[in-house]
Amino acid sequence: MRKGTVITNEKIAKDTFKIVFETDLKEAFAGQFVSILIPDKTLRRPFSISDFENGKITCLYKVVGEGTQYIKSLRKNDIIDYSGALGNGFNFSGKKTALLVGAGIGIAPVLYLKKYLDEKNIANFLIAGFKTEEEKVNGADKTVIGGSVLDIVPELIEKIKPDVIFSCGPLIVLKLISKIGENMGIETQVAMEKIMACHIGVCRGCVIPLKNGKNASVCKDGPVFDGRNILWG
Amino acid sequence: MGLTDEIFPKKNMEVNLNGFKLKSPILAASGTFGYADEYENYVNVSNIGAIVTKAISLKPRFGNEGCRLFETTGGLINRIGLENIGIDEFIEKKLPVLKEKNIAFIMNTAGSTFEEYTETARIAQNAGIKAIELNVSCPNVKEGCLEFGTNPDTLSYLTEAVRKVYKGFLIVKLTPNTNDIKALALAAEKSGADCISAINTLRGLGIKLEYLNNEFKKTMVQGGLSGKCIKPAALFMVKSITEAVKIPVIGIGGISTFEDVLEFFAAGAQAVQIGTENFTNPDITEKITLDLQNFLKKTGIETMDELKRKLK
Repeated sequence: MRKGTVITNEKIAKDTFKIVFETDLKEAFAGQFVSILIPDKTLRRPFSISDFENGKITCLYKVVGEGTQYIKSLRKNDIIDYSGALGNGFNFSGKKTALLVGAGIGIAPVLYLKKYLDEKNIANFLIAGFKTEEEKVNGADKTVIGGSVLDIVPELIEKIKPDVIFSCGPLIVLKLISKIGENMGIETQVAMEKIMACHIGVCRGCVIPLKNGKNASVCKDGPVFDGRNILWG
Repeated sequence: MGLTDEIFPKKNMEVNLNGFKLKSPILAASGTFGYADEYENYVNVSNIGAIVTKAISLKPRFGNEGCRLFETTGGLINRIGLENIGIDEFIEKKLPVLKEKNIAFIMNTAGSTFEEYTETARIAQNAGIKAIELNVSCPNVKEGCLEFGTNPDTLSYLTEAVRKVYKGFLIVKLTPNTNDIKALALAAEKSGADCISAINTLRGLGIKLEYLNNEFKKTMVQGGLSGKCIKPAALFMVKSITEAVKIPVIGIGGISTFEDVLEFFAAGAQAVQIGTENFTNPDITEKITLDLQNFLKKTGIETMDELKRKLK
């Protein structure tokens, strides 16, 4: 397995942390993830890549359970056992204007995507939403506190006329974004999240149903999917 | 990518299971290793004794809806429901890859009816598949393939029926969800099984409770329990089976280290399968194979038979 060395691990908002670790990884794309070994746990934990530069991987995480408690306990020079970069990321080839939506800690992969789009001179606007001011993560063009990001998505669409919406966040947000996209004839790409076991598509533990009647694994076929292809329950 | 460039396993790791020769006693268990090529980024698959494929059924299966995984202390509950591509696609797409890469494999197969089992076995026979493992013990499908594996008479009938159409190496994988594992092992043996593998997952229930807004939010996942926590149960079952039958037994259940493998040999197993630990450490099969090789080198033990004699 691959080993990384922790460079920094700091609090950036309420219960929210940013870890940066050095690796020999050559490339990692926005929407891809790494799976990190947690001592004494059967399952590795997947974390979206929030930035990547010269082998340095950045992940943002919210402390919610034993896995993230462990990540939080890591200090400079500690070793991370990780696998990655895994999965398929966002696809922005041929896109001219993008609306980016990050709900809660779902902002993590979208921040990395924004950096890419800026570099490629693809017009973009990132809107983020958080439950409280204390939980806010910086980096968005507009931030909604308390309410729902969804409330202002339609007006933003009118304003910037995107040809794609990239999104990550709770399932309900992704579902509604996909509906909005479908109703307005705009492509949506959503980064899904599921409990995973193998992380490489073999165990079929993290599958979601697609409209074509097949199951897709979030870890290998995703985590980014065309919102129009998902059979939303 | 592998842990070492050295070509191994060496000759002294070979095992002969009732005529079925393996280059190493370390196998990868069904459902945890896909169709092998998926693991090539982590291990040199040809170093593994054999990989047991994900369960293949006659027709493709969609698997269960809803939450399929639940992590427990020292283990994992799954209710995948045998999602798989079906034997036709397996033969068309996966078999050529396994053959081309010269990967030793055993096809695990499951069914909902006797006819499904026998038809799948017949197709496997015609496709030249050298070994199959009958999954008569999956606790996760409604139609109940577990039922085939909990009644000695039914198991006997099924094994005989498959034996008639399949001439290759026939392994029957037993369930621990029974109060008489010996009777099941004997039924498989007398009906023509060449080998027994045990155990499949234990039935388990995971419950997660959260107290929110004066109410409990309850998540329940019922399925098959695997992982480190089942090792003592598996060792007990393997020992019980090896005491009852003459055919070789492949031990499965919670193996995560080389020491675990020795314990299964001590319980009478001739080979082992590594399952859930592949999820935690995808290179574990190769790591344990290497540990075994180093142990043989260090101790001067020359064959697997000699090692097993010392462990008796």
